[in-house]
Amino acid sequence: MTPPDDATWRLPPRLVLLAAVVLLLTAEVGGASMARFKVELARWARAEMIARPAVHGLVGVRDVDERVLDEALFRFDAGLRLFHMHAEGMALVIVATTTIAATLVRRPAPRRVLLALLTVGGVGYPLGYLLWSTLIPVVGIERGKAVAEWACWIPFGGATIVGLLWLVGLTGLRAVRR
Amino acid sequence: MTNHPGGDTVGAIVKRPPMLVVFVAVLVLTLGELGGALLSQLRPATARWAAARVVANPAAHGLSGSAEYDEDVRDRAVFATEAALSFFHTHAEGLALVLFFAATLVASVVHGRRARAALQTLLTAGALFPLGYLVYALAVLELGRDGGIQLAETWVLTPLGLAAIAGLLGLAGALARGRETP
Repeated sequence: MTPPDDATWRLPPRLVLLAAVVLLLTAEVGGASMARFKVELARWARAEMIARPAVHGLVGVRDVDERVLDEALFRFDAGLRLFHMHAEGMALVIVATTTIAATLVRRPAPRRVLLALLTVGGVGYPLGYLLWSTLIPVVGIERGKAVAEWACWIPFGGATIVGLLWLVGLTGLRAVRR
Repeated sequence: MTNHPGGDTVGAIVKRPPMLVVFVAVLVLTLGELGGALLSQLRPATARWAAARVVANPAAHGLSGSAEYDEDVRDRAVFATEAALSFFHTHAEGLALVLFFAATLVASVVHGRRARAALQTLLTAGALFPLGYLVYALAVLELGRDGGIQLAETWVLTPLGLAAIAGLLGLAGALARGRETP
């Protein structure tokens, strides 16, 4: 006997699940690479920063410059860690929220919009941390953050938040009606 | 019931938990996302506000009037508040997913309406655990670091954390009994 449709979860589209799994995979590979190539990554970032003294405010005084380089390297490493954590988390958020959307939103057009918001937002947001880390040695901490914010965090994070607020309204209404 | 051949232990049906449970999971997830976004955008403003609250409650924080000592006390309280807000973000994201997946398992494998309702209630209460960090963040500023932490731990974090643990233990017990889909 099969329970009525409403009592069971429906799977999101395969493309959505694929996006979540690829994001999860990227997070895992990113975490593993961070650990395996920690020294090489730090060496690369340091070399890039030393090659751009004006960008990082290096003055040629060892004591001052080392402090600046340490701070930038710390942020570079933190960005990679945050990418790893957020990519793992958002992949699971995509699976959970798109499952809810696929089950509760019956009309295809709004369902597609909601699934797109949750999937694109969820995949794009963590990439901002990767972008930030990559940009730090090249354009500096603050400029890199500004680029990542406008290119990833605000648009993709915004899409996720809009999608989630839509789901809150939807599930809240359904809970009240029952 | 499964659509699989006899002896196959894979269930074909994953049931949906009650809508209220789904609502709480989505709500906590959304609060976690919003908390993270606000925390990153308003970090300096939050720190300034927290520092002002410490100064406004000198007795609770044991401020002595000595600039160096008071600055140290203020910094520690602000740090505790920022850490609590950060914990709210991470725990809300995590526990909302725990509620979603665990409640789905409860709906799918736990026999008996009462047992199912009890476990769903425990898990839903457990998903509210991250709100304890919001209480923590505010209470540290109003009651002092130790008093605030004690209040949040005693009245919010511990009971809600225990509810989550009890719910997960119940689910583990139901799975260990190895019965089929209700």
